[in-house]
Amino acid sequence: MRRTFETMGTVVSLEGVDDATVDEVKRIFASADSRFSLYRPESELARIASGELAMMDSSVELRTAYADALAWSSLTSGAFSPNRPDGVIDLNGIVKAQAMQAAGERIGAGGWRDWTLNVGGDILISGSTMQTTGIIDPFDRTKLLCALELRPPRVGVATSGSAERGDHIWLGGSTEPAEYVQVTVVADDIVTADVLATAIVAGGRSGLDEITGRWDVDVLAVDRAGAMVATPGIREALAA
Amino acid sequence: MRTRAVLSSIFASLGVLVIGWQAGNAAVQSATTATSTTTPTTTTTGGSSGTSPSGTSTGSNTTTSTGTTTAAPVAPTTGATDGTYAGSTVNTRFGPVQVQVTISSGAITDVTALQLTNTDGRSVQISNYASPILAQEVLSSQSAQVSNVGGATYTSQAYLQSLQSALDQAGF
Repeated sequence: MRRTFETMGTVVSLEGVDDATVDEVKRIFASADSRFSLYRPESELARIASGELAMMDSSVELRTAYADALAWSSLTSGAFSPNRPDGVIDLNGIVKAQAMQAAGERIGAGGWRDWTLNVGGDILISGSTMQTTGIIDPFDRTKLLCALELRPPRVGVATSGSAERGDHIWLGGSTEPAEYVQVTVVADDIVTADVLATAIVAGGRSGLDEITGRWDVDVLAVDRAGAMVATPGIREALAA
Repeated sequence: MRTRAVLSSIFASLGVLVIGWQAGNAAVQSATTATSTTTPTTTTTGGSSGTSPSGTSTGSNTTTSTGTTTAAPVAPTTGATDGTYAGSTVNTRFGPVQVQVTISSGAITDVTALQLTNTDGRSVQISNYASPILAQEVLSSQSAQVSNVGGATYTSQAYLQSLQSALDQAGF
């Protein structure tokens, strides 16, 4: 039985758990949404952006998320950043994946083993069996680009694009469009996958090489002309 | 820019290895030829390896004394035997680069850059390099039945028109 609900401006699809667990997952996302969503003027992060609340007076949760985002910023040489060019702190690039991770831990703690969580196109799976996930075609969203077979420990798949929502990607003040219109990262955890997908869109080819050299992740990137590059792990994961 | 330079240095060292491998292959062939012609000598001399021509001495010590297995023991020095071989470390301005080649049935089956230290002193794994993949290769996977669709974050509104929405409604 698959259940869907709206949160954080997108839709969550969750399969493999009971209704009580779905409600628990809903609460995790609702909490992140109310704390971090900039489109909610009353959220803690929106109040920091407006100057109403000082960072030093913010919650431990918010400061922890900001510290995590800064750590990722440092690890990716600034390709991923929570600091928007206009000075606003935007944690959307990380809090959704962190909420997914928290939800996954909660589901696992409830004893559920085989489930899939899809939040706006980012996917976290659990289970012993292989799951086949389609990746959307960035040039025609009614079509699939490919299908990837996911097997633990590769449980997280995140895709960033310069096409749909911008995905909170700032190209260092450059007015040039991003080199890659869509980047999919498969990793052992969803936060790493999500952050690095964003960082590769922002960092282009050199960012891609830097990241695949330093992290154990699989990457599929589509450039503006539709040409693709893939790491060996993606080739192996392509569905037969 | 830096990446390109690193890669070209890797390919340069790979080139050296391939040339070495080809040279090794030629050496094995000549050794094999030598073996076939000198086999009678080898078998008659038996365990007396001192008089054997170079390259067949190992065979002369085998208990079968047929001389047919002489080529294989010679090979390790040339690198053409099945196995994994690490090339010599080449110093580049980005740090030392070493390439490893796996040979199976006389053919190179895998090449990996063992290690490379960039200017920041970090270890870099080049084997995970993203290379061009043909649309054709990717498209063939499309016929697989999928249970979820990944993509750049869609809005609640875009979800309604999405493939994921269709899958969710189908109750996959």
